[in-house]
Parts: sequence; structure tokens; C-alpha cells
Amino acid sequence: MFSRILVAYDTSEHAQSAFEHALELAARLHTSLLVVAVARPSEPPTRVELEAELDHARTHYEEAFARLRAAAKKRGVDLHTTVEVGHPAEQIVRTAEREHCELIVMGRRGKTQLERWMLGSVSERVLRYAHCPVLVVR
Amino acid sequence: MESTWFLAALWLALALVATLLAIWLRLSTALSEIVVGTVAQLVIGAFFGLQALDAQAPWITFLSGTGAIVLTFLAGAELDPEIFRTKWREAVGVGLVGFFAPFLGCAALAYYVLGWSGRSSWLAGIALSTTSVAVVYAVMLELGLNRTTYGKAILASCFVNDLGTVIALGLIFSPFTVRTAIFLGVSAVVFLALPWITPRFFRRYGDRPSELEAKFLLLTLFALGGLAVWAGSEAVLPAYLVGMVLAGTVGKDHVLVRRLRTLTFGLLTPFYFIRAGAFVSVPALLGAPLAFLALLGAKMVTKLAGLLPVTGAFRYSGSERIYYSLLMSTGLTFGTISALFGLSHQIIDQAQYSFLVAAVIGSAVIPTMIANAFFLPHHLMVEEPEEPAAVSTVA
Repeated sequence: MFSRILVAYDTSEHAQSAFEHALELAARLHTSLLVVAVARPSEPPTRVELEAELDHARTHYEEAFARLRAAAKKRGVDLHTTVEVGHPAEQIVRTAEREHCELIVMGRRGKTQLERWMLGSVSERVLRYAHCPVLVVR
Repeated sequence: MESTWFLAALWLALALVATLLAIWLRLSTALSEIVVGTVAQLVIGAFFGLQALDAQAPWITFLSGTGAIVLTFLAGAELDPEIFRTKWREAVGVGLVGFFAPFLGCAALAYYVLGWSGRSSWLAGIALSTTSVAVVYAVMLELGLNRTTYGKAILASCFVNDLGTVIALGLIFSPFTVRTAIFLGVSAVVFLALPWITPRFFRRYGDRPSELEAKFLLLTLFALGGLAVWAGSEAVLPAYLVGMVLAGTVGKDHVLVRRLRTLTFGLLTPFYFIRAGAFVSVPALLGAPLAFLALLGAKMVTKLAGLLPVTGAFRYSGSERIYYSLLMSTGLTFGTISALFGLSHQIIDQAQYSFLVAAVIGSAVIPTMIANAFFLPHHLMVEEPEEPAAVSTVA
């Protein structure tokens, strides 16, 4: 049914839950998983700070990816990882299109009204713009 | 002595507030620190007098100056030498136009329209001629263009543009004397020797807890900075060039660069950016808001006017040309460094400094907002479907 599943991952509890659901699906359907983490630069990015943020994000996610790889290996699921840069929703949708993923799985974070107003909801934007089905895990 | 510690505590409290605001609002720390510096000077000055922050204290001036030097060195060290090898001709063409168009245009506006003196006008031109490699690089990463020759050429152009700014800042206000010749001669020898000596020296004695690498680099930067100031130039000029000549060696040592960043962000740049903000006069800005809007407008218009034809000459399409011309209209770090240089050397007064810093901050935000509003990646510009393709929610 799905040849490749994308999981949006930010190391939060919600993202972990989304990963576990996606892993379960991938194991049952014998499909591969692509875990996507997004590093979001501050605005407006400044030179040295941007490089520092990207460096930090790569290190941070690489440690988390090692745990996910171990979990996927146990279930016999083929897992790939990537760290993209930019707005999370935009990058999740873009990566799903580029990598021909047929399902996006993501968590939903409990944001305050202020955060929603200022940053927007990532899951809502992905639902709106994704080219494929989206599974939002609460 | 206790007053020094209390003053240091006050500055670091402001740095902490600025960092928290940057985290909460997703702003860059540099921008947040400038704004916090301006507001703190206004508020603390109203209650405790204008000298409460004591931004002119020699040790604050030293930490702030070191921050500017190390930050500029790290910016130069981020250059990827590979990008020049592919499309250097285009990089030089676009970069030089990206520098000269706003430099001459903004200087002309300051001189003929705002009535600034010749030296103040040249300084305005320099402060507004910068671009932001970071803004362009961030967008390249988002669109995956950083690996294409197209993206690499634009990034290289940004480095050339900023090199023009740093050279102009370093040389235009210094009379050419024997000292200038000595400075240029010694610098040339050091720039030739550093890429050979530094990696060998670090391999032999580096990678120890005594942080020999940081001491060696600071020695180089301070010595050349001192020589530059002795010759009537500016310390950030050799710092940027040292960064560029060491980009292929030191710049690739990620562990060392991270350690230098810790020193820079943890101690030095807060003093630099808060101090830069503290000198901004809000009453001057409110008294003549059109002045800073005119400078900001001049920067954007002259960048577009210069870059649109030259990018067209390199066969970019209409939307690509507007997009990159807008992104190259951004700039923050070198803009504030130039303005602060002008204020410290009495080339501009506090009101002119305030207009320039406000225009620089505006140029860091507004062109990107316009580019994002009108040139979003195409997949976000498709018509919004009434319902998502498929939605499932697992409780």
C-alpha cells in the first residue's frame, strides 16, 4: 500500500510516539522509513550563528537517530535519516515530494495560543500542502 | 573594583535577556542584543542617568572590539574555497556590482538629499553596501541550491560583496602614508605565510587542553589589528582576510571553530551588539523617521538596480534575478560594524549612527520578508485544496 513512509521527528515525546506508530506500520507493510528532522535557523540568520545552529542541530539529531536506527533494526525495517534546514512544515512537504514518500506520519505538539499565532501549527500546514496522506499522532 | 563586577553582571543580565527573547521569538541573537541594548540604554538611562551602562568603559570597549574582530574572522573562515573555482568570474562581477551600487547610491543620497558631510556620506555608503551570506545561505539550504553551481556562484558573490565593504572600511578613511604601506606589506607576508605555518604548528603542538590554537589565532588577530589601527585603518579588515586565507585549513577544523564560537557567543559578541544598540538614540530616530526610511529604501533600490542587469547578463531568469537581488540586499553584522566604526572615529554623529543602525536592522528583515512573501517555494504557492488529501488521527 505504502512503498515509503516519512516520519517527521524533533526528539519530542510526540515525535517519538509518531515514530513508534510509523515503525509499527512499516514493519507490518514491509516498507522503508525516512526520518526527517528540520533545523530551523533564527530570523534573520547571521553568519557565524547560523553555522553554529546547524552544527548543533546535526549533532543533536545524529545522537537521536542512532537510537531510532537500533529500534528499526530490531523490527527489520529499512531506515534512512536526514536533517533538512528551513521551516519545518515546508521541509517535511518538500522532502516527502522529493523522496516519493506515500505517507507522512507526524506528532502534534500541544502549543499555546500565542505560539500558534506566532509560529503556526506545523501539522496543520503539512496537512494543507502535502501531496500524500498524512497521519497525525496525538 | 566591585563596581566593575556589578557592571559586568548588568551587561551579562542584558545578554541573558536578549538570548531568552531570541529563543522565544526565534530571532537571531545578534538582532535581539542590539534591540535590548537600545531599550536598556533608554530605560536604564531614564532612571539612573545616561552613564549607567557605561558603554565607553575601556574594558567594555575592548571586549566589544574583540567580539567584532573574532566574529569577522569566523565569518571569513566560513568561505568555501571550492566555490570560487567554479564560477569566479560571475562571483566577482555580481559581488562587485552588489558592493558598488549601494555604496555609491547610498553615499549620494546621504550627501545630496540628507545633507551629510562627505566623510559621513561615504561611511553611510559603506555601512549599507553589505550583504548577508547567512540569509542567502539559509535560503539556499532550504531550497537545496547550496550544492548547485548556481547557488555556489551567488554565495561566492556575497563574499566578494562583503570583501569590498571591509576593504573600503579599512582603507577609505585612512590617508595613504608610509604606515599604510608597512601595514599592507606586513599583512601580505602574513597572509602568504599563515596557510602554510598554521596547520603545521597546530598539528605539532595543538589539540591540548591549553588551547594553543585559540591563543595563536588571537595573537595573529590582535597583532594585525594593532598594525591596522596604527596605520589608520580598521582591525576587522585583517581579521576578515585572515579568516579567508585560513578558511581551507582552520575553517575546516570543526572542533576548533566550535570552541571559538563558544568564546565568541558566550562572552564577546554580547558586549559588541549590546554596545552597538546602546548608542542608538531613539529620540533621534523618532525625530526624523524619514531619514532612516530613505537610507533603507536607497539600499534596496540601488542593490536591485545594480544586480538585476548583472544577474541578467549571467542568464538568470526574471524571478531568479529579483529573488537573489533582494536576498543580497540584506545585511546586519558588517553594517553595524561599519556604523560603530564611524561613530567611534567621529565620522558620523549619534543621530546619523542611529539612522544607519536602524536602516541596517531594517535591511536585515524587510528584504527577506518581501522575498518570502512573493517568492515562496513553488509547492507552497499552489492553490490550497479544500480538504487535505487524507487525514488520520491516532488517539
